Amino acid sequence: MLDFTFTEEQEMIRESVRDFAQKKIAPIALEMEKTKQIPEEIIKGMAELGLIAPTVSPEYGGQGFDAVTAGIIAEELAKADVTGSIPVFYLVQASWGHIFDKYGTEEAKKEILPNVTKGKWFLGIATTESDAGSDVVGTRTTIRKEGDHYVVNGEKMYISGVREAYTRGGGHITIAKQNPELGAKGMTLFYLPLQSKGIIPTYVDDLGREGISTGGFTIDNVVIPKHYIIGEENRGFYIVHEGYEYARGLISVICAGAGLQSLERGKKYLKERKAFGQPLAKFEALQFRLAEHYTKLSFLRLGAYWALWTYDQEAKGKATRFEVSKAIAMAKMFASEWSNAAIDEVMQWQGAFGYTRECPDQAAWRAIRSFAWAEGSKEIMRVIVSRELLGKEYISYK
Amino acid sequence: MNILVLVKQVPDTSDVKFDERGVMIREGVQSILNVFDQFAVEEALRLKQKYGGEVSVMTLAPEQAKTAVQKCLALGADKAYHISDRAFGGSDTLATSYALSLAIKKAGNFDLIMAGNQATDGDTGHIGPQVAEWLGIPHVSYVEQVVSIDNGKALVKSILEDGYRMVEVELPALLACLPPTNFEYTNPSMSGIIKAKSKPYIWWKADDIDGDKSKFGLNGSPTRVLKMYPPPKRSRGTVFTENYQDAVKKIVEALMEKKVIE
Repeated sequence: MLDFTFTEEQEMIRESVRDFAQKKIAPIALEMEKTKQIPEEIIKGMAELGLIAPTVSPEYGGQGFDAVTAGIIAEELAKADVTGSIPVFYLVQASWGHIFDKYGTEEAKKEILPNVTKGKWFLGIATTESDAGSDVVGTRTTIRKEGDHYVVNGEKMYISGVREAYTRGGGHITIAKQNPELGAKGMTLFYLPLQSKGIIPTYVDDLGREGISTGGFTIDNVVIPKHYIIGEENRGFYIVHEGYEYARGLISVICAGAGLQSLERGKKYLKERKAFGQPLAKFEALQFRLAEHYTKLSFLRLGAYWALWTYDQEAKGKATRFEVSKAIAMAKMFASEWSNAAIDEVMQWQGAFGYTRECPDQAAWRAIRSFAWAEGSKEIMRVIVSRELLGKEYISYK
Repeated sequence: MNILVLVKQVPDTSDVKFDERGVMIREGVQSILNVFDQFAVEEALRLKQKYGGEVSVMTLAPEQAKTAVQKCLALGADKAYHISDRAFGGSDTLATSYALSLAIKKAGNFDLIMAGNQATDGDTGHIGPQVAEWLGIPHVSYVEQVVSIDNGKALVKSILEDGYRMVEVELPALLACLPPTNFEYTNPSMSGIIKAKSKPYIWWKADDIDGDKSKFGLNGSPTRVLKMYPPPKRSRGTVFTENYQDAVKKIVEALMEKKVIE
């Protein structure tokens, strides 16, 4: 039978995270757009509560949380941080911490993950290049084995958390071609410390979520040890998609949470603001818009948790990889679009104020817009779902 | 050092509203751990860290109060006692403190019993002192800090209206705790929440505690709450903007008219 309730433990987790996030994060959220960083005391507070990469196993400093529980944290962070910076800081490390925990070597996990969960280091993901985003096989960065180590060359671009890993320590789970002639079957995933000799970072000026950096780096003959390889050699393409699915699930919850929070602010405004002698909330045209956006986002939220639940079912042997891919892609397909539409509506209700930088909703709008492509574009989500419905032989690009 | 903290779940008073009849609207109001009690729990955990031992928590409340008790366990308390029975329905502070004192006797020997000075809903400040009286142990209210514990005595800082006093109290004793104005409660950590699940959680019904059952619940409660209502709203008052001599004259006249002064 269907049961839409969270466990008692999950409710306690939500309550604790919500209280922390509303008390500590919400009041300083807009400041991050100016300082361009997440305040150190917030990172410290998150680490103390166990909110950084909680998907990592307890023996490496994490909480061993499943995807649904990770989603609860993501939702509460998204409701508090209108700039989307902390949700990105969280979701990247939660998703790739999980992948590192699942596929990394024991030696690497012991060395790296406790530093990540303590908030000292940043763990990111680097697959995108200037000419390769959704088309991961288009990657030009290479990795070659030399004796007991590997040498990496290439360039990565539009990567979250470059400054964080370059200055704080840590690195990015990176994909490169080991056997280019094998295409998807010749790609290897590995951990690349950004403070390695041969890394030169660059930064881009993003439209939103400005508390966390976006940038790229060139990789010039960077040597990495054998134990930094994640999973088997040449299996990187498949592992990286598993990680992206995790991240897409979290993004879907974040979009729902941010949009619903914006509607909450909008609801309050509609009741308070008067026009033509009555509160805006009395105008049916606006009531209907509120009802429609709220309904869409509630279904998005439900779908996002269902997708994360499906991900957890796979770990229990109760769902297949393909079922997970489809569920996650369905959840993410409209996530940013619906959330952005709701936030846009709330901005509209607020008139000129909605267009100022003081208005929290405009920051949320800019942040959510990034999720239309981040961790898999909305077009790719459609490719995945139609592939699962029609069969691989109908994939349009093959 | 074995410590027991008495705790209560209360409606979040930052969000309390009354309907037109003056009845509190409970629908949609979140229930939280009384912040005075959370302070007592955090102070007890600090003492545990310093002197060792165990911290237990106890509540007498309906089943749904479990979330508040679980929060105490997630913060680091070791064991919970939850006394819940329809027989306790309608208890005033006298009946509640009587039942609690019986449960405390059954639970074992504690060096220190702590409680919030008051709960943010009833705001009576009765429970702590009453429990101590039933148990026949000394008690101190308005305790902001347990400064030290030595030779079977606790030195505590108790807040007065215009200052504070240092009180030395023989153990076992009950301390009713008052958070300092800058108290910022701790959020339970994720690992604390996970650990809480496997900590002992003991449920007792009325039959599980020995005592005079006629003193339980409504029968044992001499207090009758006739009505709950918010204080009437005060009007803005009259502002006199003349020069001060004329203004004082008008104020005196107004007060005489209302027979406040003659």
